[in-house]
Amino acid sequence: MIYATSATALIGVGLLLVLLLAGVRIGVALGLVGIGGLAVILGPEAAVIKSGVILVDTLTRYELGTLPLFLFMAHIFFSIDASRDLFDAAAKLVGHRRGGLAYASIAGCAGFGTINGSSLATTATVGLVAYPEMRRRGYADTLSTGTIAAGGTLGQMIPPSGALIVFGIIAETSIGDLFTAAIIPGITQALFYALVVFIVVRLRPEAAPAGERAPWRERWQALGRVWEIGLLVAFIIGGISSGLISPSEAAAVGAAGALIIAGMRGKLNRTTLYNAFAETLRTSGLIYMILFGALIFAAFIGVTGLADAAGRAVSDLGMGTIATLVVLALILLLLGSLLDGLALMLLTTPIMLPIAQEVGMSAVWFGIFITRAMEIGFVHPPLGMNLYVMQGVAKDVSIGRIFKGVVPFLCSDFVHLLLIILFPAMVMWLPDLLGN
Amino acid sequence: MFKTALTWVGGVALLLATATDSLAVLCRYLGFPITGSIEMMQAIVLVSGVMALVMSTWDDSHARVHLLLDRMGPRMQALAHRLSDLFTLAFLAALLAGSVWLAGDLWHGYEHSEIVGVPWSVLRMVVNAGLVLAIGLLAVRLVRGSKA
Repeated sequence: MIYATSATALIGVGLLLVLLLAGVRIGVALGLVGIGGLAVILGPEAAVIKSGVILVDTLTRYELGTLPLFLFMAHIFFSIDASRDLFDAAAKLVGHRRGGLAYASIAGCAGFGTINGSSLATTATVGLVAYPEMRRRGYADTLSTGTIAAGGTLGQMIPPSGALIVFGIIAETSIGDLFTAAIIPGITQALFYALVVFIVVRLRPEAAPAGERAPWRERWQALGRVWEIGLLVAFIIGGISSGLISPSEAAAVGAAGALIIAGMRGKLNRTTLYNAFAETLRTSGLIYMILFGALIFAAFIGVTGLADAAGRAVSDLGMGTIATLVVLALILLLLGSLLDGLALMLLTTPIMLPIAQEVGMSAVWFGIFITRAMEIGFVHPPLGMNLYVMQGVAKDVSIGRIFKGVVPFLCSDFVHLLLIILFPAMVMWLPDLLGN
Repeated sequence: MFKTALTWVGGVALLLATATDSLAVLCRYLGFPITGSIEMMQAIVLVSGVMALVMSTWDDSHARVHLLLDRMGPRMQALAHRLSDLFTLAFLAALLAGSVWLAGDLWHGYEHSEIVGVPWSVLRMVVNAGLVLAIGLLAVRLVRGSKA
């Protein structure tokens, strides 16, 4: 165990960054560095056996069922055009106001975020529906693309969230608590975006012209197309938050509900089902590979003692809770310029979580904090995946214009992240209240 | 054809998982809880997970960091992809070695789950078969790439 030192871990982290930037698959880079590090410290035999144990233990974890079943639910909803229905309902209700379609896009993203856990998918699907309508109504390209690209990040925060499920498994934290804790940050994030739209529209009224008011008959019709989705989502989130059902059970009930809704609309057939299976398996396989790698990497970091050493070092610095968390946020935002979401979360969680715990924060709070930091990485260059997804939808708008449009939302993201640091109750109040 | 069959196997596992946990919730609130549903779910989740791993390898949908990759020339990009495949093969081979080692060690232990008696040795075989398939797919891709 002579190599079980922080220096070994730091060499491993450096090697990992090189492999990731060289284009090695994220899970593979994490796993190979983890196995290599364990082999150096414990010996090759122990490293290989430990990897085998992690593989089978992870694949048989009951909570792991949460991920593919929520993905399955989302893919069934994709097939019945739920994103169009959700945007339509919001657009019919508020679309006539100045900036109304931008508010509707945010609401559509938040609504779609409740049935899928991915920022990229939310941006792409809501973008396909909302962007053409906003352009037709004369909205500025910066406002329309910026709103959807930023709004798309809500998919990652509002439960069920793929990132929170992965964090729960990595940090061995209750996924139900994470989902409950994400509700207020998710809602406040959406409200912040609405506030940004309000300010932009006040400053530049020509960016978002007012439209015609839809008659109440049309509004009720639009709401009638989403009521069963709303009911299902309320049951899922309410059931998890109140502790009536576990997240895995909620995912199963959600998938069953999505199948029933698709059946009721006459859209459940062999092709729909096959496509949903294929997409679900492909996406969950991608995440599993990253999970295996991350868990092996975390085992390596654990053996080196880096996390404990970092926690002690931060404690010895005596910076206090808020200053420490602001430094962590800055590191995350900086790394977010190099690594995409999951890589960032899985690389930093084993090291940063003990530091956050050392200054008195819980794993649940940290999960929300890191997910929020990850989301910011989705909308700022040079990576800014949501910006590129949005450009795929709005091919006539340059990436520079899209970034210009997203800047006001990015500013609100920084303020929101700071509020989460300054007022941890934003995250912890609801899970504490519900006694989860 | 084979890929379609694998997708249906993984898909049926997803449907079974949906049905098992949904029924477990329903029955629990109707007053007659289904014992062993968690063990059943563990086995089903494993099958769908293995299929997911194979399918994502087949379609090469594993996530990468594209910061430098997208800025490389075509030759460097091709080299980076081949290296990535090679590393993936090495990682899966290490996982397979560990899993086979454990399966061998525990083969005579006759491991079964406590309530419904799911045989763990069979599940370990499913995992190992899935890994062999994924490694085979990568090997074929590497050989084809070197011939191209």
